[in-house]
Amino acid sequence: MQSDLTTLDKPPISPRERKLSRFLLFFEDIIKVPLFRCQHCGECILSSTGFVCSQRCPKRLRNGPCGGTGADGSCEVYPERKCVWYRIYLRSKFFCRLSLLYKINKIHNWNLEHTSAWLNVFKKRIDAPMIFVRNDKDIVKDMIVDDTQRKNQL
Amino acid sequence: MTLKEKINSDRFIVCGEIGPPQSCDGDLIRKKSQYFKGIVDAVNITDNQTAMPRLSSIASAKILLEEGVEPIMQMTCRDRNRLAIQSDLLGAAALGIRNVLCLTGDYQKFGDNPEAKGVYDLDSIQLISTVAKMNDGYLLSGQKMKKAPDFLIGAAANPFAMPLEMRLIRLYKKVQAGAHFIQTQPVFDMELFMRWMERVVEMGLHEKVAILAGVMPVKSVKTLLSMQTNVPGVKINDEYIHRMEAAPDPKTEGVRIAVEIIQTLKTIKGIWGIHLMPVLWESIIPTVVKEAGLCNQN
Repeated sequence: MQSDLTTLDKPPISPRERKLSRFLLFFEDIIKVPLFRCQHCGECILSSTGFVCSQRCPKRLRNGPCGGTGADGSCEVYPERKCVWYRIYLRSKFFCRLSLLYKINKIHNWNLEHTSAWLNVFKKRIDAPMIFVRNDKDIVKDMIVDDTQRKNQL
Repeated sequence: MTLKEKINSDRFIVCGEIGPPQSCDGDLIRKKSQYFKGIVDAVNITDNQTAMPRLSSIASAKILLEEGVEPIMQMTCRDRNRLAIQSDLLGAAALGIRNVLCLTGDYQKFGDNPEAKGVYDLDSIQLISTVAKMNDGYLLSGQKMKKAPDFLIGAAANPFAMPLEMRLIRLYKKVQAGAHFIQTQPVFDMELFMRWMERVVEMGLHEKVAILAGVMPVKSVKTLLSMQTNVPGVKINDEYIHRMEAAPDPKTEGVRIAVEIIQTLKTIKGIWGIHLMPVLWESIIPTVVKEAGLCNQN
């Protein structure tokens, strides 16, 4: 059984916390909106996506691009824009953080929408950001040849 | 023999595809299913393809079951949230549908209701995980089911979109999430496809998941050109366009190109089968399968 698909096992957000969250969100916005165009999903995965906000994708995909990325890396919905996941890939490669893209992100908890991700990290509702990644290429190599992963039983 | 048993038995798989109509005409699906019966192993039923409301994929799949054709029900994340997805999957399992293809779905802007709200509560990888969890006997909430479904889980891959490495990461995640088979976008550029396939073999994914390469027989050069401009992420080699333009009978040339592509695909390491996508040209399937020498089915 895959237990880590949703965040249902995490503590819910109380009304008092919501107030605190709104207060903290003010300061979070000052940093995250101009730098990353934060969409306030409350479940920040910026650190694993090369510091490009994945929620700017029109489909709000959290696990990689859809099949419609153009040859020049344009978005299929808004061709004048670059595909967010294309940028994530380039940035992750530049910062040697590609191994983080191999992780499957959990299903979004919509209760956390418009709450402070900082508070959610502190309350252990979401994973703490990964600031440093060491030996990125080796990790990727290990992941690909890892045979202990879930074997598909037909 | 079900599709699951066929995939396990190492034979070359051939899948077809039927797009339900924009009306309640169930007989059309019955008629189209006759082109596939006894010829292919399973038939995809698209779920509101091109983001237009159509006869639902569950109902169409049930019609196929009645006709004795094994359906692969497509399930997109565009129209359903996690509640609807789980209930639709349970309903499909109760009706006897055993195969599900998990997709994110075309963006609603490309359909006839461009002002619609897209749901995208899950993405395709999370949908695969959800189905895998249901196969294990649990709902998303963690509640144990009295009777668990037994789905064969499919996923899509696009070998032609850029960048290649990101595509492979996504394929890896889909396999990790529990996909059993992968269907690709139609192959019209063999060089790009081979490059993708080489990397897939390098990563060892071809042993963990059945890769079915997409093949699309085209009627005319117009279809080919509209594919290139309207369908995102499809690459077409200029050679095929020139050949279709120059051919005196484009229909025969279309079949010839499809057969050629199938013959080449059969020789590539790691390919488990093909997925035929005859958009609005289902009647050609028996010819293509016969000419490609794949008529040993059933």
